[in-house]
Amino acid sequence: MRKLGFLLLLVGVLSFATIKVGLFVPLTGIGADDGLSALHGAQLAVEYINSHGGVLGDKINLLYYDDQTDPKQAVTLAYKMVQRDRVIAVISGSYSGPTRAAASIYQRLRTPMIAAYAVHPDITKAGDYIFRVGTLATVQGRAGAHLAVEKLGAKKIAILTMDNDFGVSLAKAFKSEAEKLGAKIVYEAKFSVEEKDFRTVLSEIKKKNPDVIYATGYYFNASKIVTQAKELGIYQTIIGQEGYDSPLFIQLSKNHAANGTVITTDLDRDSEKPVVKWFIKEYEEKYGRPADMVAASTFDAVMILKKAIEIAGKVDKSAIKKAMLKVKGEDFVTGFKRFTSFREAVREVVCQVVLNDSFHRLCKIDDPSITTPTR
Amino acid sequence: MQDVVNALVLGSIYVLISVGLTLVYGILKILHIAHAGIYTLGAFLGLMFYHMTGSFWVSLLLSIFLTGIAGIGVYRYFYRKVLGESRIVPLVISIGLFIVMQDLYRLVWGPYRQPFAVNFGINDIRINGVVITQHQIVILIITAVSLILVYLVMNHTKLGLAMRACAEDMAIAGTLGVDVERTISMAFFLGSALAALAGILVGVYENNVYPTMGEVPSYKSFVVIVLGGFGSLYGAVLAGFILAFAETLLVAWKGFVLPRDAIAFLVMIAVLMIKPEGLFRRATR
Repeated sequence: MRKLGFLLLLVGVLSFATIKVGLFVPLTGIGADDGLSALHGAQLAVEYINSHGGVLGDKINLLYYDDQTDPKQAVTLAYKMVQRDRVIAVISGSYSGPTRAAASIYQRLRTPMIAAYAVHPDITKAGDYIFRVGTLATVQGRAGAHLAVEKLGAKKIAILTMDNDFGVSLAKAFKSEAEKLGAKIVYEAKFSVEEKDFRTVLSEIKKKNPDVIYATGYYFNASKIVTQAKELGIYQTIIGQEGYDSPLFIQLSKNHAANGTVITTDLDRDSEKPVVKWFIKEYEEKYGRPADMVAASTFDAVMILKKAIEIAGKVDKSAIKKAMLKVKGEDFVTGFKRFTSFREAVREVVCQVVLNDSFHRLCKIDDPSITTPTR
Repeated sequence: MQDVVNALVLGSIYVLISVGLTLVYGILKILHIAHAGIYTLGAFLGLMFYHMTGSFWVSLLLSIFLTGIAGIGVYRYFYRKVLGESRIVPLVISIGLFIVMQDLYRLVWGPYRQPFAVNFGINDIRINGVVITQHQIVILIITAVSLILVYLVMNHTKLGLAMRACAEDMAIAGTLGVDVERTISMAFFLGSALAALAGILVGVYENNVYPTMGEVPSYKSFVVIVLGGFGSLYGAVLAGFILAFAETLLVAWKGFVLPRDAIAFLVMIAVLMIKPEGLFRRATR
């Protein structure tokens, strides 16, 4: 009995010396690959912080759980992390479904939550404890339209839309902005996330002969789209977005078909910023695969939380929440700059082009009229 | 024309998966969901051996053989004991097995999608703007060869005769001197080998192998089985191609109005309304 008491005391002392941060990621189920990248990104950030003096002199203790890409599970975990583990803040390294479900719980339990890369607009509407690091779909769609019309000079555009939150909200923003800029949408089609054969719609697109193709999708849809487009002799530029941002996009495309694809994203792989260079090198050495957007965003989510705690000057949920709006800085891995008053990220959008089977910087879109999120 | 090529390739893949499943269903009458897990295993083993040996054909054969053995294992250790029970029991076991398999692959090979890049060194065929890529050519040839082999085994060997006999009535086949145990094992071996073949071909065609790749085939192959008439091999072949053509042509005609899987199930329901016994009825009890 005395031994147990001692152990409890020890645990108590240890838990005082660390700042507990929660993380929920999908480690099983359909999102397991992105979940592992997100976990690695967060772990790398915690390691970086702890080896650089911690936060307010204390170390961060990252507690992570598998949400199975399941909203119900994410809600259960929310209660567990706040009420049992007593975490001070939570990072979502998960998709829109689980993140959206959990956000309202964290709001109710008055615990700050930062969504790393989930895109659904409603997530931050849960309340003033909920923040988002990733780019809002409307911003990214707008940036895509500027890339297509102004930078690439497109007049006729074909749009392929993945039929889920992510794809539809991007395509909607892209279309309205592109039309505003004077381009004509000559073809539109929707496909389901599971779709593997785009040859039929691509043949239709070929007949319309657009200047560029704007295709929303994840890297595994995108690799099929670019491969099959090249097979059919479509050589127009295909414009994608952060869903393409994975080394796997290039690897899964056949015959180097990814080359020439242009995307709007958050991670600038040619950046001269020391923290970006460190992150890209360290990530690959540690986890044996190149870093992707998901890992970078989750890394930044942890770093932003750290800054907020420092600004707050104390480990207090309400103070951290308020401090979050004061976080500013250039030393993040993605182009994160600050939060708006409605807790969406203001950031520069990076356009990358695939050359010689790797991502490179094409340009940056920094115009506040494009990159500032709007409700 | 391009659509016809695409439909033929898609159909070939459906057929390979479902013919294997039909062999098992025909004899045991169990809904072998874990067949899709076996299919994924084939793809992963193929990829692993491809990395080890560098030869696609060697890895194909190794994977087919080992996956076939794994199929026998599934029968011996999981299904055999519950054959006497209600058909729900093996079904539940099968679903559980499929879930466990997917997680096992994730633990062993990681959650990421892995490229399976094979260059067969033959040129894509281009005629009047219609493209048949090298991977499509290989899939079409391999499917044709395997279907001929299955036909020969079923109709011109003792094993085939035994399998057909067991499918008719296991007890009578047993009393007439057919080694029922061995025949069932061989059916699982053949069926699983075909699944492995399909898994590898899909992996190469999509350049993509991952733990949950069996998810869609797990239910879609049943559409083929039901359409084909529950255990009829000819039915499964025909149904596989019908389904592929229906999906592809509808997409060509109307765009992606519905997800492919929804189309598949609609086709199945439509056929069952007209012919409740499936396209090709085989004698079942």
